[in-house]
Amino acid sequence: MDTEDLVRSLTGDLKPVRRLALPVWRAMGWFGLSLAFAAGAAYLVGLRHDLSDMFTDGRFIVEFAAILLTSLMAAAAAFCAGCPGRPLWERFAALPFLCLWVASVVFGCWQDWSRLGAAGMAITPDPICLPTLLAWSALPGAAIFVMVKRGAPLAPLSTTALAALAATALGAAAMRLTHATDANVMVLIWQVGSVALLTCAAMLFGRRILRWPEHPA
Amino acid sequence: MRSAQNGDARAYSLLLAELLPMLRRIVGHKWRNTNNIEDIVQEILLSVHAVRHTYDSNRPFMPWLMTIANRRIADAARYNAGRAAHETTVDIMPETFSGDQPKSTQDLNENHDLLREAMSVLPESQREAIELMKLKELTLAETAKVTGKSIASLKVSVHRAIKAMRAHLEGKQ
Repeated sequence: MDTEDLVRSLTGDLKPVRRLALPVWRAMGWFGLSLAFAAGAAYLVGLRHDLSDMFTDGRFIVEFAAILLTSLMAAAAAFCAGCPGRPLWERFAALPFLCLWVASVVFGCWQDWSRLGAAGMAITPDPICLPTLLAWSALPGAAIFVMVKRGAPLAPLSTTALAALAATALGAAAMRLTHATDANVMVLIWQVGSVALLTCAAMLFGRRILRWPEHPA
Repeated sequence: MRSAQNGDARAYSLLLAELLPMLRRIVGHKWRNTNNIEDIVQEILLSVHAVRHTYDSNRPFMPWLMTIANRRIADAARYNAGRAAHETTVDIMPETFSGDQPKSTQDLNENHDLLREAMSVLPESQREAIELMKLKELTLAETAKVTGKSIASLKVSVHRAIKAMRAHLEGKQ
């Protein structure tokens, strides 16, 4: 088809479109609804018995806040990645909070080592962790993937990775409220490890999930 | 673009018409293969149209457009690189048949005469072995039964006959 003919066909039957909301508003909307879902589900499942004690621990508060901020900022970054012309640094917005989350867990490992010695670093298999995280993240994950598909597929790999990070971080936060795991090394390997694994897995499917529409409206 | 988002076809048509020469220039600058320039420009236009709802009217238009254009040029480069990895460029397409001409009837007749002449110089026992095994296509066992000779003796006769015929034919050339 001739390019001028293409222009005529694109402009011939033009319909008004609903503008995409700003990434920050979309992220807040997704995070608010997903947080309400996770909190409600955690309450129904049953909160861990030592939760009130855990919230007196400064390190746990920092870790929990870092998980939630990682989720929120990763969602905002995923929505920014789908908007052409936005600065590249926005895609790394979740990185400081992700580092803070991992650092707080590593600091907890060091505290366990100081307090209990080698016993505090004992690693045991926890095969239920990955499917549990997947279950907690499934609904927020489905919602964010539907939302990022409304954007432009400019960076499919990083967009799907950030969306998966947002959903799985929220799932990890819910697990910290319900799953009583004392050893931080177990949290590091099984919870943070599962988040990393699912994020990488989502990245592999990025190009299949986010594509340029072949038949534009 | 703001008007286009609201469904103003005339404003959209003006915008795309103004963008066309610029997009051709940008693609031409980044893309060496001049045959594909129009294809990539069309891809960019289709992409702009498909994601026009992502344009934020509070932000400048050109970075929005250039991000899409650069992305589509990169996609085209990746697609071409992937396709080139499975293709081999040749200057002349190889023929699928031999350049040798088939033998004419005259050539075949001449060959038959030469073979007949070569056989005529063979001793009787060797000529008989060749006739039965190579012309009548009998097996060694059948030939042995017809001639009353042993299989080993027939093998020797055929071998010597072929050697003698070859020498005769080479002497003729």
